Amino acid sequence: MRIVSLRHLLASTAIASCIILTGSVSSFSATSNGGSKTLPSWSPTSSERLVKLPPSYLKKSLDRDLAESQLGTAIKDNNENIGHKGNTLSDLQRAIETSEGEMRLELRHQFLAEKRAYLDLMEHQIDLNRKQAKTRLRLYERMLKDFGSKNANESAGVKQLVEKQTLARDRFKSSLAQVDLKVFETASFAESQYAVKYGQNVQAIEKLLDHIKQHEMNHSLTSDGVEMTKEEFIRHMATEAEAELALAEQDDTILGYMAKLVALDAMALSEETMDAELADSPLPGNSSPAQAVSFFMTN
Amino acid sequence: MKKFQTLIKISLISGLLFTSQMAHAGTLENLERERAQLIETFLDANLNTGERLSKIETSKPRLIDLERMVLRDDKLTGRNTPTVRRAFGNYDLTFLVHASAEKNRTLFDLWLTQVGITTETIMVATKVAAPTN
Repeated sequence: MRIVSLRHLLASTAIASCIILTGSVSSFSATSNGGSKTLPSWSPTSSERLVKLPPSYLKKSLDRDLAESQLGTAIKDNNENIGHKGNTLSDLQRAIETSEGEMRLELRHQFLAEKRAYLDLMEHQIDLNRKQAKTRLRLYERMLKDFGSKNANESAGVKQLVEKQTLARDRFKSSLAQVDLKVFETASFAESQYAVKYGQNVQAIEKLLDHIKQHEMNHSLTSDGVEMTKEEFIRHMATEAEAELALAEQDDTILGYMAKLVALDAMALSEETMDAELADSPLPGNSSPAQAVSFFMTN
Repeated sequence: MKKFQTLIKISLISGLLFTSQMAHAGTLENLERERAQLIETFLDANLNTGERLSKIETSKPRLIDLERMVLRDDKLTGRNTPTVRRAFGNYDLTFLVHASAEKNRTLFDLWLTQVGITTETIMVATKVAAPTN
């Protein structure tokens, strides 16, 4: 009787889990955009300040800002919980393999429950990562807008002037050697102090610029070694944030399929426990009228 | 009283801005000053040919340096004032020494061409001005 009661209990809870999980399979995509849950917040430093930072320091500054925020702490804690849950699942899986009978049934039931909890944690993780990626993307878009507004504010007149100045400087650079040859070779005067010192300063500036370029804190390279301007670097990071958002959608799909599998496992477990229950219960006998024919043959 | 104070503040700020603008246009101002001296030399009727050439040769090294300072001055980039616009509107007229060396012409000859005084224009002017009998 005690064994039947336990089986009955397991069967009913397995059926209940099955119903809940089947309902939640479709709900993973419905709540994938954060749903009605209030997620922790992250407000990065103002974009005007960040735009002034060198590219490599910009990324590190943002990452540090995230780590110190509520959202960053929540991501870290959730990650840890996922790790612990993973260990629990692994332990249960091993225990199921070595157990049998009622204990095995109980462990399988627990395994299902833990898998459900794991999926909840993963769903929360995806929501947190999605929020992080959206916040980054908004920030990068604001920074790119700041870059754009600097150029947009120049009037047509200023642009024309800058063009003329650029042309003048290019012409000067291209004719410098020729002019020096003509002026200083035929003239009675030597190169001025300004010209000599300017040349020395240019050499010093080039050495310093070279050193700055090679400085480890001045790396603005992508992983494939292409050097970028700050604007290009911010666009690159915005693309990475977009990719994270796209991958979050895919992660939701994976979770959906996992939830479906858990639901199917719960259905299988409930069927097993019901089969066992039904095998134990004695079925009532069925009397046939043919057995009482003899009574009706005699008076 | 408040209005008066506001007026003083506005005039102080405008004064500072104007001063800063003047300071930034220093290299160009200096070049224009030296160029004006050169043009005065071109047009000075009291100088004979030798004296004129000597004065032009003396101002050449100063002009070269000043022209280079203006061309290398990043503070002038995008500074949309009439002086800067005029200066960069005509390279040959502003940067006389460099343009003349580039084109293998004398300073005076290049300047005359830039201001529109060529042999043709003089001949036309002479014909127009000639008395008709």
